Amino acid sequence: MENQQNLIEQFISAAERAAATVERVHNSPAALSQAISKITAGEKTVLLAEPDYLPDELFRSLRELPGIITHPTEEQMATTKIGITDAFAGVAGTGSICVALSRNLGGSISLYTREHVAVLSAQSIVSRPRDIFTMQAKGGNHQDFVFITGPSATADMGPLVRGVHGPGKLHIILLEETDV
Amino acid sequence: MSEIEKEITPREVADKSAKEALQKAIRMALAIESDAVRLNTQTFNRNRYTAVAEIEDYEALKDRAREIKEYSIENNEKLLGRLRQVIEKRGGHFYPARTKEEACEYVKNVCLKHEAKLVVKAKSMTSEEIKLNHTLEEAGIEVAETDLAEFILQVSDEQPSHIVAPAIHRSRERISELFKEKFDTDQPLDTGEDLTKFARKILRQKFLTADVGISGANVISADTGTIVLVESEGNIRMVTQAPPVHIAIAGIEKVIPRREDLAVFIELLAPSATGQPLTSYTNIIDPPLDLPPFSFDGRPKKEREFHLVLVDNGRSNMRKDPELKQALYCVRCSACLNVCPVFQTVGGHAFGGETYSGGIGGAWEAGTGTLENAGFSELCTGCSRCIPQCPVKIDIPWLNTVLRNRLNHPDGKKAPAQKRFFGNFASSARIASLFTPVSNRVSNFSVSRSLLEHFFGVDRRRELQNFAGQTLTKRFKKANIQASEAKSSAVLFADVYTNYQNPDIGLITAKVMAKLGVEITLSDVLPEGRASQSQGLIDIARKRAQQTARYLEKMIDAGKPVIVTEPSVLALFRLDYRNLLNDAALFQKLKKMSYDPIEYILHLFTENGMDWKKCFSPQKLSQQKLFIHGHCQQKTIGAFDATVTLFRQLGFDVVTSSVECCGMAGSFGYKKQFYEVSKKVGEDLLDQIGQADEADDERLVLAGGISCREQIRSELNRPVYHPMEVLEKIIG
Repeated sequence: MENQQNLIEQFISAAERAAATVERVHNSPAALSQAISKITAGEKTVLLAEPDYLPDELFRSLRELPGIITHPTEEQMATTKIGITDAFAGVAGTGSICVALSRNLGGSISLYTREHVAVLSAQSIVSRPRDIFTMQAKGGNHQDFVFITGPSATADMGPLVRGVHGPGKLHIILLEETDV
Repeated sequence: MSEIEKEITPREVADKSAKEALQKAIRMALAIESDAVRLNTQTFNRNRYTAVAEIEDYEALKDRAREIKEYSIENNEKLLGRLRQVIEKRGGHFYPARTKEEACEYVKNVCLKHEAKLVVKAKSMTSEEIKLNHTLEEAGIEVAETDLAEFILQVSDEQPSHIVAPAIHRSRERISELFKEKFDTDQPLDTGEDLTKFARKILRQKFLTADVGISGANVISADTGTIVLVESEGNIRMVTQAPPVHIAIAGIEKVIPRREDLAVFIELLAPSATGQPLTSYTNIIDPPLDLPPFSFDGRPKKEREFHLVLVDNGRSNMRKDPELKQALYCVRCSACLNVCPVFQTVGGHAFGGETYSGGIGGAWEAGTGTLENAGFSELCTGCSRCIPQCPVKIDIPWLNTVLRNRLNHPDGKKAPAQKRFFGNFASSARIASLFTPVSNRVSNFSVSRSLLEHFFGVDRRRELQNFAGQTLTKRFKKANIQASEAKSSAVLFADVYTNYQNPDIGLITAKVMAKLGVEITLSDVLPEGRASQSQGLIDIARKRAQQTARYLEKMIDAGKPVIVTEPSVLALFRLDYRNLLNDAALFQKLKKMSYDPIEYILHLFTENGMDWKKCFSPQKLSQQKLFIHGHCQQKTIGAFDATVTLFRQLGFDVVTSSVECCGMAGSFGYKKQFYEVSKKVGEDLLDQIGQADEADDERLVLAGGISCREQIRSELNRPVYHPMEVLEKIIG
C-alpha cells in the first residue's frame, strides 16, 4: 500500500514534468461526475469514449452531463474541443498513461480533440513501461494501446511548441480510494 | 539568402562519393547550418545525460538490448518467417522486399489498387533510403510528409540532416524565411507557434482526406506482429488511424523475437534520443487496427487494410560482413550524432550521405548503397565519445576505421599519401628528432610547410609540434632516477608522442613516481598503433598492437603495471586493442594493468594506505584555481575522474570542461581539409575557459592530451599543463 502511494506521488510529479495536469479525485461516480462537469461547463459538445477498463457505473452519470456525446460522427470527432477517455494504466517513472485503441474510440478521441481528459485509477499505476508488457504477457493479452506522456509537442519549428496534431492539453483525473 | 546558399545546396552534396562533395558540404555547413545544429544537438546531448542517469539499471538494460539484437540478427530469417505467419493470420499482408525497387513497386501497386490520390506519410528513414516518394510521385500520387521536420524538408527540397530530427539544421528564422518564400499566405509565420499552427492546418486536411497512410516502425516483435512507433507530434497516430489503408515500411533488422522485450527498447529509445523518459506518444499496435473505419470526407467507408513491407536492400550482405554486421543493431536513437563533437559542428549534410548521417551513418550508407557513399566517415575523429552512449553498444569508431581501411584500398592500391604520412608518425618522429633543431626549423619553414601541405595535406596554419633533440629515452638514462624506499615498481610506457615531443612529461612522471616510492622502468619506444589505426591502416596497426602488447605482457607478468601519460595511448590499450589484438585474454590483462599516472597514484594511496597530505604540499603553488579539460578518450575509458578527484582532495578549486572533445583529435586538426572544422569544434572549450577565468585571475589550464594542449595553446597563447607537471611542483 505504501509502495503504491510512492508510485502515485512519483507518477504525479513525472506527469507534471511532461506538462500534463493531474487532479486527484475520490474514486466515486459522484466525485468523478463533479470533476468532469467543471471541465465541460460551457462546452456545447464534449466527446466521451466508453471505458475500456474502468467500471461502467463510474461513467454512467457522465453520460447524463450536458453536451456529452458518446458515439460521435467523424465530423464531431474532428472538430470537438474536449474529449474524455479512460486509461488502463499509468506509469510512475515516466508520467505516462496507457490508453487502449479499441472500438470504444478512446484512441481516436484522445487524438483528434484539442484537450484530452483522461480518467485513471490510482490502483493501476505501475513503476515502469516494462511492467505493462509483463502484465500483458502474463494475461496473454496484446491489446493495441498508446503510452501518452504529456500533450503532443514538437521542436521541429525551432522552440518547443505544445499542441501539434494531437491535443495541446492533457488533464489526468486520478481516482483514489482515500478521500483527497 | 546568403551567397553560399545560392552556390551550394545540401541536395547536390548529399552523395559523398566524389571527394569534392565533402569539402563543399563542410563549407556550406560551417557557413549556414552550424549554429542551429550545435544548439539543437547539444540540448539533446545534455538532456540525454540527465535522462539516462535516471534509469536505475541503464548498463544492464543496454546489455540486454545488445543481446536481443545480436540474437535477432543471427536468427533473422526464422523471425521473418514467424512474423509473416502472424501478420497473415490476422488478415494483414506481408511483403519481404529484396531491393529498394521491389519495395517501391509494391507500395506503389497497393496505392494504385486503391486508386489513391493522396498518401500521408510519417517519418521513415527506410523510405528515404529507398526513395519511395519519388516512385509514388512519378505514378501521380501526392505524398504529404506529416512529420513537421519532414514537412519542412519537402518544402526546401533537402535531405534529412539528422536521423531523429531531420531538419535540425534549420533555425526557426530559416524556417520562417523558407515558408514566407514558398507559401502564399496571410497567416503569420514568425514564431514557432505560428509555423506549427500553419503546418497543422494544412496537414489536418491531408489526414482527413488521405487514401493511404505510410509509417515506419521502430521495433517489431515476431511473436505477435506488434509494431512500436515512437513520436511526439501525433502525426504517426493520424497516419495509422485516419486512412483505411496502412503500410508500414521497415528494414528487416527491426524484428525481435518477443513482444515483452519491446519494453527494453522503449525504455532506452527516448532517453537516448531526445533525453525524455518517453516521448509524447509511444504507439503499440498490431495492425490492421480493430477500430471502426472512418470517412471524414463523405466517401464510402472501407475496411481497414494493413501491409508490412520489410526491406533488405543490402542488409543481408551486412549480416554476412563480420565488421559491418554490428551496424544492424542500430535502433536509430541518434545519441551518437548528438554526442559527436564534429556532428555538433557541421551536422548531417556534411557528416552524412543521402539518408544516413553521423558516426553510424557511414556503415549504413555503405551497407545500403556503395562503399564510396560512406566517404563522409572521414569526419569521425575516433574520439570515442559515442561508445558509452550507444544503447546497443555499437563500436562506431571501429566501424569508421574499417570503412576508412576499405576506402584506402579501393582496388588494392596503396593508401593515400596523407594517410601514410600521419599513419607512420613513429618513424617520421624518430628521423625528425635525430636532426633537431634543424628539422624543427625546416618543418615550420614556409617552403617546407607548403610542400607538406601539397603532398601530405598538413594544414600550414597549424604550428607543428617541435621534436625534442633529447628524447625521453636519452634523458631518462641520464637522470638516473632512484625511488626512495621503493615500495613497488612499474613501467612507464615511452609512447612516441611523449618520447619525441614531450619528454619533460615522461621525466616528471618518473620523478613523481619515484618520490612516491615507485621504482620506474622505462619501456622501449614502440609504435603502439594509434596513428595507423586512426588513418584506417588496420593491418599495420594490428602488427604494432601485437608487438607492443606482447612486450608489455612480459612486464606485467613480472609484476609491473603500465603507466601511460598520453591518454590516447592509454585508451588504445584499454579500448582499441580489443579490436586490434586477436587475443581476448591479453587484451583483458593489459586493460586491467594499464593506468593513467594519476589513476595509479590514487590506486597507491588506497593500496598502501598512504596519506596524501604527507606527499603533497599544495600551498607551494600560488594559483589554486584550476581549469581541467578531460581528454575525450580518457573520459570514455573512465580514466579522467581520478585527476579531478585528486586535485579536489588536495584542496584545489577545480572547474572542468563540459565539452566532449577539444576538436584536435590527433591528426584530424592538422589535415588541411578539416582545419576549419577542428577550430570550430574547439571554440566551445575556449569559451568555457574564458568563462571560468575571473577578470584579473586566470586559472591554470590543465589537459592530459598532447593534442588538447596544442589546440588550446594555439588560440589562447598561454601555457597548458599536463596534470603531472602541476603535481611535480607540489610534491614533497
